[in-house]
Amino acid sequence: MSTSNKKSSPHRKSSPRKKSSPRKKSRPARSAASAPPPAKSYASYFEHTALFEFSKVINSSLDPQFVYSHILLTIMGKILSSKGMVALAGSGKEVKVEAAKGFSQSLIGKGVVVEATPSNLFDISVVDADRYPWVEFFQQAGVAILLPMVMADRLIGFLGFGERFSPQPLEDQQRTYLQSLANISATAIEKSRTLEETKQVNRKLDRKIQEMNTLFELGKEFGSLLDPEKLVRLLVFSLLGQVGVNRYLIALRGGSDMRVVASKLDGPVPQGELLMSLANLKGPTRVSEYIIKDSIDPRNRLNAAGLHVIVPMQLQGENRGLILLGEKLSKEPFTDLDLEFFSSLANLAIISLENARLFKEAIEKQKLEDELLIAREIQKGLLPSVLPDIPGIDIAATNISSRQVGGDYYDVIPIEGERFIIAIGDVSGKGPPAALLMANLQATIRALVPLNIGLSELTGKVNSLLCPNTGGSKFVTFFWGIYDPKDRSLSFVNAGHNYPLLVRPRGKVDRLDVGGMILGIMEPPAPYEQGIVTLTTGDMLVLFTDGVTEAMDKNAVEYGEGRLESLVSAHLASNAEEMVDLIHEDILLHSKGTSQSDDITMMILKAV
Amino acid sequence: MSEFNISQRETKDVNVLEIKGYLDAHTAPKLEDAFQGLLKSSKYKIVVNCKDLSYISSAGLGVFMAFVEDVRKNKGDIKLSNMSPKVFNIFDLLGFPLLYDILADESEAINRFLDSKPIIPGNAKK
Repeated sequence: MSTSNKKSSPHRKSSPRKKSSPRKKSRPARSAASAPPPAKSYASYFEHTALFEFSKVINSSLDPQFVYSHILLTIMGKILSSKGMVALAGSGKEVKVEAAKGFSQSLIGKGVVVEATPSNLFDISVVDADRYPWVEFFQQAGVAILLPMVMADRLIGFLGFGERFSPQPLEDQQRTYLQSLANISATAIEKSRTLEETKQVNRKLDRKIQEMNTLFELGKEFGSLLDPEKLVRLLVFSLLGQVGVNRYLIALRGGSDMRVVASKLDGPVPQGELLMSLANLKGPTRVSEYIIKDSIDPRNRLNAAGLHVIVPMQLQGENRGLILLGEKLSKEPFTDLDLEFFSSLANLAIISLENARLFKEAIEKQKLEDELLIAREIQKGLLPSVLPDIPGIDIAATNISSRQVGGDYYDVIPIEGERFIIAIGDVSGKGPPAALLMANLQATIRALVPLNIGLSELTGKVNSLLCPNTGGSKFVTFFWGIYDPKDRSLSFVNAGHNYPLLVRPRGKVDRLDVGGMILGIMEPPAPYEQGIVTLTTGDMLVLFTDGVTEAMDKNAVEYGEGRLESLVSAHLASNAEEMVDLIHEDILLHSKGTSQSDDITMMILKAV
Repeated sequence: MSEFNISQRETKDVNVLEIKGYLDAHTAPKLEDAFQGLLKSSKYKIVVNCKDLSYISSAGLGVFMAFVEDVRKNKGDIKLSNMSPKVFNIFDLLGFPLLYDILADESEAINRFLDSKPIIPGNAKK
């Protein structure tokens, strides 16, 4: 507001003039530009107008500093003093300096408790200092005149001024005038202060709304994220952005440990034991207010790491994680509202993190199930659904998959010369990798057999072809033979497989053990040896995998080859099908109360 | 879903990111990628032009926080320009004008980099 403004407006305002008669008189006098008005009434007129203008100016601004400045300059000009200050009463009895002109700026913010005060302008030098001891504060600051601002019997504050340049004491009329200015100032200051307070309340509200928005937004976003890493990243961003911190640590609980999942710190990153000692905290806590409950005092190490706040992430009353934060870049302290916000955010995040974890677990379980299903499908597809008829042989086979699906394999393949390949194998490992290797083995066999070379050499070739596919980490135990119905001979190679049992009616049991090392590991040092047996009527050839002999009972005792041999010997009158069932039932009897841990595969050939 | 786009250009050795739309929890990773890209190619003089930014949430502000330190360590800065009053209000609410150089105009922000004056965080315009 400029002074020219003030000068130009009085003519437009008519109401103040109507009241007093001297002014009415002055009008014609002025328009005639002749006799000046009586000095006193002119001064009075001027003062009233100025008062009005003063009121208008200080009430038109919402900026407290502008208001203070205008009040001080107006009165300083009026009383001829080069120093002025505004001191305001807060909610208590303390009066604090808010603005100063000419006085030391270091006074701003300083104050004194005022119990009682004269209600009108007074000179500090003459006031009763015993009654008003607080005036010393102003006196020391260099204040000579104090102008109390009172509104509805309430002290709003003081306008204080330094020594006047004029030796003339203030007249009563001037004092009254100054008091009027003070009263108008009181109203304006109160108004601007109320406004300032409203603004601050609004700002706090805005901030609260912003926090709510953040929580709402994160709730939405967290809910749709199932990747824990992304969740943590988002949590970090929101914390950094919301409070302006740049150092943090986020740890999640896994069993009895706290695992750091994200951190940005200058010092050493606090780890498990230290973090676990914070796991009992019930709510967000400033490190400075942390109360030590056990032998571990985490404060020094947290301070060293530059961490100032601990926020537990709680789920169903249990701490599932921790958020630790460094100080704000603005260096401002964390408010209780900040801590409340952290707590909400932490609890929101942990729900989603926990969900993500459970979801991942479920997915992995499902993936495993799916894999097993695939393995089972592959295995079933490879095993012959119908065994070919072999003249003079009663044949039966079974494969009972365990839950995890092993890599058992058996096959009967008719070949040139009305002969038959009889094969059984066990691939190491379980699940799809085992099933795939088994498929590989079968394809290899079927591709090589038509070459019509000897079984021994054939086995060597199967091994050579298999090796690159196992990477040396997997292997196959394999037994195969070529049965020729014409002379009932079975030539065979056993590559590290459980010896098939040839049980004969006259009590002698042959183990078909001739062969060589297992397939898939390396080129064998010597060629595979080939054995040969001849079947006679009543002979029972039992081919099986380790799932049969290693089936365990509750006490981890294996079924064993001996029991198998006795069982077969005792039931040589049975046909192949019955024998398969007998063995299976006997295994079930043995392993009652346990779950099957490996595939059970067997093939029975009975010479009839 | 909320729309957010970044376009990038280089003027006088200063990289300008123009960000458009809603920068919130959902879209913050896009800005993260953009900053990561700049840092990877050692570009540390960055101006983010917020002319078409209609909203920013704390997750968005967090991205600035996550990178500003590395950028300043390399004698660069992330300066912000052309903010709408609404967006500025959010920055202001969270005290960001103290931490960042926020300028009325992009060219002004670019010129700050060209002046040889050191960067003083907290020297932000009101």
